[in-house]
Amino acid sequence: MNRPRIEVANLAVRYGDVTAVDDIGFDIASGELVTLLGPSGCGKTTTLRAVAGLETPSGGNIRLNGETVYSASERRNVPAEKRGVSMVFQSYAIWPHMTVFDNVAYGLRVRKLPAAEVRENVQRVLGLVQMQAFSDRPASKLSGGQQQRVAVARAIAFSPSVLLFDEPLSNLDAKLRAEMRVELRELQRRLDITSLYVTHDQEEALAISDRVIVMNGGKIEQIGTPEDIYNRPRTRFVADFVGSANLIAGKVRGPGSNGTLLFEAEGGVQLEVVASDASTERDTVALRTSYIHLGSMPGSHNAVPGRIHRRMFHGDFIQYVVDWPAGQLIVRRPPTELFDEGSEVTVSFAPIHCVLL
Amino acid sequence: MVVLIGLLAGIPAAIACDSPRQMEGFKTCADVAKAESEGTLVVYSTDPEAAAEQELARFHALFPKIRPNYLRLQAGALYARLLAERQGNVYLPDVTQLADMSFALDFQKRGGYMQYVSPEMAAYKPEYKSSPEGYWTWGALVMAAIAYNPNLVSREEAPKTWKDMLDPKWTDAISVKVTISGLQHVEWYMLRQLYGNDFWSQLAPLKPHAFDSYVQQFDRLVNGQDKVALTAQYSGYLMMKAKGAPVEFVIPPDGVVAAPQPWGIVKEAPHPAAAQLFMDWFLSLPGQTGNAEVLLTHSARSDVPPPPGGVSINEFKVLTPTDWHAFEQTHAQFVREWNKITGLR
Amino acid sequence: MRLPAITPRQIVMPLVVLVCGALVIYPIAFLINESLNVGDPSTFPPEQYGFDNFTNLTDDYRALANTLLVSCIATVLAVIFGFLQAWILTRTNIPGRQRLERLMELPYYMTPLIGALAWGVLLGPKTGLVNQAWRSLGAPGDLFNIYSAYGIAWVMALFEGTVAFVMISAAMKSMDPSLEESSRVLGAGKLRTALRITLPLVAPGVLSATIFVFAEMLGSFAAAFVLGIPGRFYVVTTEIWQATLSFPPDYGRAAAMGLSLFGVMLITLTIARFVLKHGTYTTITGKAFRPREMDVGAMRWPLLALAWGYIVVAVILPLGALLLTSFERFATVILPQMHFTLANYQTALQMGSVGPAFVNSLILGVSVSTIGVVVIGVLAWIIYRSRMPGRGAAEYVIMFPQAVPRLVFGLGLLWAWINMPIPIYGTLWLLGLAYFTVFLPLGLRTIASVVLQVDPSLEECARVCGAGWVYQMRTVTMPLLRPGLVAAWLLIFIASVRELGVSIFLMGPNSKVIAPAIVNSWLSSSSELSAAMALIQTATVFIAVAIMFSLARRVSGVTQ
Repeated sequence: MNRPRIEVANLAVRYGDVTAVDDIGFDIASGELVTLLGPSGCGKTTTLRAVAGLETPSGGNIRLNGETVYSASERRNVPAEKRGVSMVFQSYAIWPHMTVFDNVAYGLRVRKLPAAEVRENVQRVLGLVQMQAFSDRPASKLSGGQQQRVAVARAIAFSPSVLLFDEPLSNLDAKLRAEMRVELRELQRRLDITSLYVTHDQEEALAISDRVIVMNGGKIEQIGTPEDIYNRPRTRFVADFVGSANLIAGKVRGPGSNGTLLFEAEGGVQLEVVASDASTERDTVALRTSYIHLGSMPGSHNAVPGRIHRRMFHGDFIQYVVDWPAGQLIVRRPPTELFDEGSEVTVSFAPIHCVLL
Repeated sequence: MVVLIGLLAGIPAAIACDSPRQMEGFKTCADVAKAESEGTLVVYSTDPEAAAEQELARFHALFPKIRPNYLRLQAGALYARLLAERQGNVYLPDVTQLADMSFALDFQKRGGYMQYVSPEMAAYKPEYKSSPEGYWTWGALVMAAIAYNPNLVSREEAPKTWKDMLDPKWTDAISVKVTISGLQHVEWYMLRQLYGNDFWSQLAPLKPHAFDSYVQQFDRLVNGQDKVALTAQYSGYLMMKAKGAPVEFVIPPDGVVAAPQPWGIVKEAPHPAAAQLFMDWFLSLPGQTGNAEVLLTHSARSDVPPPPGGVSINEFKVLTPTDWHAFEQTHAQFVREWNKITGLR
Repeated sequence: MRLPAITPRQIVMPLVVLVCGALVIYPIAFLINESLNVGDPSTFPPEQYGFDNFTNLTDDYRALANTLLVSCIATVLAVIFGFLQAWILTRTNIPGRQRLERLMELPYYMTPLIGALAWGVLLGPKTGLVNQAWRSLGAPGDLFNIYSAYGIAWVMALFEGTVAFVMISAAMKSMDPSLEESSRVLGAGKLRTALRITLPLVAPGVLSATIFVFAEMLGSFAAAFVLGIPGRFYVVTTEIWQATLSFPPDYGRAAAMGLSLFGVMLITLTIARFVLKHGTYTTITGKAFRPREMDVGAMRWPLLALAWGYIVVAVILPLGALLLTSFERFATVILPQMHFTLANYQTALQMGSVGPAFVNSLILGVSVSTIGVVVIGVLAWIIYRSRMPGRGAAEYVIMFPQAVPRLVFGLGLLWAWINMPIPIYGTLWLLGLAYFTVFLPLGLRTIASVVLQVDPSLEECARVCGAGWVYQMRTVTMPLLRPGLVAAWLLIFIASVRELGVSIFLMGPNSKVIAPAIVNSWLSSSSELSAAMALIQTATVFIAVAIMFSLARRVSGVTQ
């Protein structure tokens, strides 16, 4: 119960000269949903497939439920079919030559369960994804969203201890994606299955994960809860990739008030910022666009005059490009806060939202 | 008696058996009971399947317990298989007909034939069988000369002699056989002997078309694609005539070319008694008469009637090599020259 | 350290590859052995070794030049036919497309030999039926003389056009239609779109079709045999035929010639393999492209005529010529000379050897295709999907029989199997093995194109669900490959019944097959009889295939 379900240490995957995954490690506790987040080519899918047993790593080791399934030093590599993990593929991989029932029943039949048990399990999981009505339909006749549900049902049918998701929602339209991610998270919570999830969609990652592992170029940039990642990015990459952020260049001048640091950006702008022990560069500050107010803000804050340069209506928010002495800022405000282009405003934001990288 | 003559002629004695059995129309030295218990006879030959089946059916009618089995192959492929099989120590055929004397002589040299002297071989002139006797015997004679389509070539225009073929009016209108044809080799050799090699060097500019089969030659005559067939088989002519096709055959006064078809028993025949019985019947009068009827060829036996619709062999002056070894040695030269004449080189 | 358990996969995969590889390499080894024979050309094994056979080939460049000429023309023609038909039948909206696509299989049922014969009847100089019609229209000479290099190329192209059609239409069907639509939206007309957009997009498919067709043309024999030799035009394959069947047989030279052609074809096949590797062919996934047809408006009728034109010219005309000939007393095309009879059919059906030969051919056809598709299915998976070491070399080796002229390979098989201690010489088993060997490339090529289209995640998912390799192959891979397996079955079945070059050397008195019988009758009996036999053969194959298809449809549940 206390033992992490998935343990990855020093994992490396190389294809000839190319290093896809470069010495990464992480643990996933029982019942957690952890997301590998990053741009294409960052190694997240490769890592996932290595855990599944579909890729052979070049070094490191992987343990599932305390048992070593891959170890370079021990020369051990348990084949995928023996690892007891389950996976939902990006393309759903629904077998067109079988019915929905047969698709979902596959893993159960492989394990030679009696027919009655098979039927029971299939009905159960189809119910969980609301696809009971489609049980006898040929799988080739399903829409994308329906295929996705069947893929999930199939994956959980034989009650695996670990569930892997390879960008399962990326082929759906935006609205369906938003709905499905909620359903997936609900399902995962209800069944309490340890899950490793891969996506390039940072919104999705933040919404459903217990923890997020941000990857770039085969390495891990940061591991943390969604709030951590969002509010306290440790590198430029994380700040830029997750959520939208302004990166302000400058120099630390000295201590500020209340444990903050004084940071001087271009144009003589002086800001109070916060730092973490992990701040290494100390010449950039990350400021989330939605944490910037246009207008005065009560309490101790940074306030700088600026002028609205451009306004774009995004429906749920308005995005402003604001000119200020240190260049330009992107600001997101609710649609009720309407400012005309060209008007003068005061940009204000709290020091804890200025994260020194 | 045969032994005595053999000794007198200086040929190693070849012995037919002491008391050949008289069967229906032929004599045999074979053990008939054993042949029937063997039950099968396998023949490898180049004869057309329909015709060969009819001939074998007659044998089968006489000996219902012996089932004949026939494989038709083109001469070169047939020989390739015989040699390959011997090399691999696999023996399937009992009796084989090789359409080319060169093949037969080579096979004899390699010890491929069983020596079996049939009592019927006495009816064949020495030049029509192997020496020593008993390896191969000529089972048929294929006659060839000139043929044309009377609807397209008038009787006056038609060639009467071999030399008439050298007329430039036949340019691009002559059909001959391909280089691998044994019959063609014989014709080349004999006409060379008659008229010198000039004959062929004068024929070359007429650009004859070469064919692998006489069937194609005659089809083209009938359809006017060629005007004359040089190396036209008499059997082909008879066959077309019987079907009502417009063809005429020319018997040149200088002679008609004849290519023999040597038949023999394979030494390691799986059914030796049946093979011997068959050879006895095949070389006999009834056997040869039947063969002449189905193949429309002549027999090397003088007592056999001509093929239906054809003239007796005595009407022809038969041109055939006497010294087969000398003939064989010209083969390489023939191939070189003939390839040039037919456009290969 | 734990020793890994031996899985079924680890046994089956290498076994399949080794057995197939051995079947191919064994006869080729004999050929190589014989090609170095500089002693007595008709002995085997050779007594003296040397390279003379190869060096002597250089003084015979004319046959090679002729071969290249004919192959190039024929390839260009075949690809044009294939491309036009593919484009008309998959991208336009002419009526009756489905039926026409079915009919496009027909030329494959006819042996090229019979096709060449039929075209001799149609376009023979002076008296070919078409030429006669041409003259009656007042023209001075022939429309065309089929006994020429172009004639040979024409006949070859008509038959290989179907192969090109199958490959190119497969490529066209998997094209993203939005690529063409964007061109039209930008104002380009249909012709311009076809040339500037469609053509480059299907270029990989066209290129691989071209290369395969070219490789086939290099080794083709029948048309050059019937139409070339009388026209004084020789190619490498007819020269090989001459070398093997003459006396004294020059097996060394024949083997050397065959191996040289083998070398040329290996190079072209290497190029083909290179091209194939660089294409993405994944189409069987959740999403598949559905090509939208172009409305060609008034051009429908000319295009329809063109599409039917191919069928008429490639199938109906030759079959008609054969039909005519089979009912004649003696083969002629000159109207006043024609007499008709049923005698040819009577003879053909009564011939004692014909019945057993048909039965043997059908038995061989069914068994070789059935066993063949299963084995080749596994082989295709190993080569294109697995990570087994040496699979690249395996693919190469399996393609060898394609590159050796059939007659020469037949010789190799004869020598190889006659020296085997297993007593299968002269039996149907040997023919079955030999057919399997020579059809490996055909089967692999057909099934490979489907294997490449299957999304690997479909199989990975099965493994992640816990399926072992055998279970996965049986329940997921094979069913997904079904269209390819069925197509391969059909092609191998027809090819078996038509097979000639290997059968000549390997059939025995108790294991006769039908194609040599037809050729034999053409060479030694009569054209009319051969025409009758050929038509009986074509009809039999047609019926057999129809039965197979209706059986297959009844047995299987889900189609496609």
